[in-house]
Amino acid sequence: MASLAQEPGLVTITIDGTELQVPKGELVVESVKRLGREIPIFCYHPRMKPVGMCRMCLVEVGMKQPDGTVRMMPKPQAGCTLPASDNLVVITDSESVIADRRGVLEFLLINHPLDCPICDRGGECPLQNNTLFYGPSTTRYVEVKRHLPKAFPLSRHVTLDLERCIQCGRCVRFTEEISGDAQLAFLFRGAAMTPRTFELTDLDSKFSGNVIEICPVGALTSSDYRFRARPWDLETRPSTCLECANGCSVWFDHRGGKMVRINGRVNDAVNEEWTCDKGKFGHGYLNAPDRPAKPLIRKEDVLAAADWSTAYQQIVAHFEDGRTAVAGLVGAKVSNEDLFQFKRMFHRHFHSPNLDHRWTRILPSQTEGVRGLHGIDEVHTRIAEWESVNAALVVGNDLASDQPMVYLRLRKAWQRHGAKVVVISERPTYADHFASAVIRCEEGKLFEAVARLSAAVLQNREGADALRAALKPFAPDAKDRAAAEALKGEFFTVCSESVYAKPDGGKTVSALANLAVGTDNAQRFNLYPVGANDMGAALLGVHPGGQGMNTREILEGCIQGRIKSLWLLECDPFALWHDHQQVQDALENVEFLVVQTSAPNQAMQYASVVLPCCAHVEADGTYTNIERRVQKIEAIWRPKGDAKPSWKLFTELMLRMNPSRPIFEPSELMEMIIAEDESFAPAAYHNLEGNGACLPLGVDAGAQLFMEIYQ
Amino acid sequence: MIGEIARDVVRPILTGLKLTAKRLRRSKITVGYPEVKRELPPRTRWRHVLARYENGLEKCIGCSLCAGACPAKCIYVESAENTDEARFSPGERYAVRYEINMLRCIFCGYCQEACPTGAIVLRKDFELADYDRPDFIYTKEMLLEPLPIRQ
Ligand code: SF4
Ligand code: SF4
Ligand code: SF4
Ligand code: FES
Repeated sequence: MASLAQEPGLVTITIDGTELQVPKGELVVESVKRLGREIPIFCYHPRMKPVGMCRMCLVEVGMKQPDGTVRMMPKPQAGCTLPASDNLVVITDSESVIADRRGVLEFLLINHPLDCPICDRGGECPLQNNTLFYGPSTTRYVEVKRHLPKAFPLSRHVTLDLERCIQCGRCVRFTEEISGDAQLAFLFRGAAMTPRTFELTDLDSKFSGNVIEICPVGALTSSDYRFRARPWDLETRPSTCLECANGCSVWFDHRGGKMVRINGRVNDAVNEEWTCDKGKFGHGYLNAPDRPAKPLIRKEDVLAAADWSTAYQQIVAHFEDGRTAVAGLVGAKVSNEDLFQFKRMFHRHFHSPNLDHRWTRILPSQTEGVRGLHGIDEVHTRIAEWESVNAALVVGNDLASDQPMVYLRLRKAWQRHGAKVVVISERPTYADHFASAVIRCEEGKLFEAVARLSAAVLQNREGADALRAALKPFAPDAKDRAAAEALKGEFFTVCSESVYAKPDGGKTVSALANLAVGTDNAQRFNLYPVGANDMGAALLGVHPGGQGMNTREILEGCIQGRIKSLWLLECDPFALWHDHQQVQDALENVEFLVVQTSAPNQAMQYASVVLPCCAHVEADGTYTNIERRVQKIEAIWRPKGDAKPSWKLFTELMLRMNPSRPIFEPSELMEMIIAEDESFAPAAYHNLEGNGACLPLGVDAGAQLFMEIYQ
Repeated sequence: MIGEIARDVVRPILTGLKLTAKRLRRSKITVGYPEVKRELPPRTRWRHVLARYENGLEKCIGCSLCAGACPAKCIYVESAENTDEARFSPGERYAVRYEINMLRCIFCGYCQEACPTGAIVLRKDFELADYDRPDFIYTKEMLLEPLPIRQ
């Protein structure tokens, strides 16, 4: 065969007689996939560095000589550590490769307990699959197998079966390379080698769930999922995690109307294939036995089941045209469609602007937020872009808790090309270990720390004299100056809205925006929301706007009697609001309280009417994540009891108050959203297949500084 | 005319009666069910039983392989972990719930074939009629062999 024309950066290799061009240095395991073939693997993982530990991927390798002959290497090579180079010849299907594979598998199975029938991995196990396709059908090993503890708890979530481990090192490498907590290491050598935490402490990681998924055998299993089902018992449906605002793609496994487990789903734009533990282990509430299934109405002192029409009647009586005496508060896991219809109902039929979705101590009004004071958008950077940043400033709570996927990408940026990261926080964070500078400030001193660092950064730069002058009172120390070295050029800022829960959060955000604007990095400024659909709520205007009351004012209004009727949509103020007493007083005093919820919560005790609503897995809807990616979640199972999707409930109520055209599908609501706000145009339902659609980011009105905070 | 009647009516009747008379001499092949029951062939596949080991432990380990093999999808297995205080089967895992919908079962025996421990076996009890549909859901308690009587 004639050689293909050589393109720069590409090399020509021959796999099983087929010549093809691949990027120079691509690993042979990957190149083989281009031909639709496969080399069996265990330890290799496409998102981690190859180590060549298991020898499952052995192939015959040779070099094509200038005279056209091929010189084969005397021994087989590991395909997962072999980079493609010009004239490489790879043979993946010769007699000797087949014999090698059989041998490797026979060795791996010598000490494997073969307890597949009771193993949680059975049915979806790479060791089973490889043995079936490439392994021997029987064993010649008759001696006693290695015996080790069977169910060794590594943490509350992860159980280790030491007998099943094939010592591939994937789990150890994950904690070193990806999550960065380096929690696992190999202990002992030879047959006794086992992955363990140091000193047998708990596997304390925010990403430990992933090691369960990447373990190629059933050695690491989920303690929650342990013995709950076999893979063929499960129904698996794609969905999106709503435990935080990153909106990771997940597989949702359910059985008999019960959520059984969550696995990561590949989505290179958001979560690659990872999940955080919050998401992976945090969906238990869907299985709560006491989820409301019927509307409940308070009769004397007890909540009694009622029918919808009575509930509607009471609600209409208390809310219709309630004007400033009615208010609504919203939680994070509410879809765009539900939010939009809720807002419409409040504006059109209750004539009330008192709506809010925020629960932080500081609730900036529209003129006080980043957009109001600084004229820049809150968000400029998409999640995937974080892996290519060169310098970043991380401020506030632990990035790994608030924005797990941004954290993983940023760490990747550090690992791949040494991105410089500066962390300012009050407590130790996950990002500390790879940060080039960590500024640890006292509780409540975040603003001062940011201001001092700003002063240090500006000392290295031209321009922004006004800002430099305003920062005079904040003298940087040596640490700040060292940190500022990392932020000499372009840098990205990331902070989460959880910073508004701190007393100086507003000033901190403003100081960060000033620093970004003053150093021409406004295009790289990010203040990400934390709740699943907080972004959607903000974009759809589920906030008080100019005239309405915010969360604090609404709660105070309830206590003072200015608010007569309150509607809680999928939120429990006791869990969300910092002042318990205030919540209790408010809910005790308000005359009429509607609690619309999919899971039982504490506010129900005070409710006049409880409306059951669908959890996100029970109704179609879209959600907007931190990078304004609108993702559609489809109903996976039927609602519990009489529960309804919230948008449907609002529609029915609105029809009762003012007969008009009914709405049958959430897609119609999305059309209405688009008609109202053009920026939602990409999110039309027909665009949302696959990984959803992104709304525009970085819509800046004209960056400006705001100096009053420094006085 | 008479000849025709003799040929087409009387002769066939007599031929039939002759056969009957001949057979009367042989012994019966029917039995007086339900008073009398016949021994069924050794490979008969009827009602399932969940077998036990001699020491009384359940053979079933709750692996759900039978449910996976069942073409009628009529087996439901839910498993849990054995503890030293409450041990049902050898090893780590046992079935807390084991149900077969006998209305859907086609008695193919695939479950028996799939079972790694020989726990689910189809035996000879074929008297499965009942009056209510819910009664055809055979639970683990109904399927389990009685505990062996200690000597
Ligand atoms: S526990 Fe699993 S992932 Fe870790 S080394 Fe053993 S086989 Fe590999
Ligand atoms: S006999 Fe066949 S149909 Fe009946 S339970 Fe077993 S596998 Fe299912
Ligand atoms: S009967 Fe056999 S195949 Fe079925 S769950 Fe029990 S052990 Fe597994
Ligand atoms: S996959 Fe290549 S050595 Fe393990």
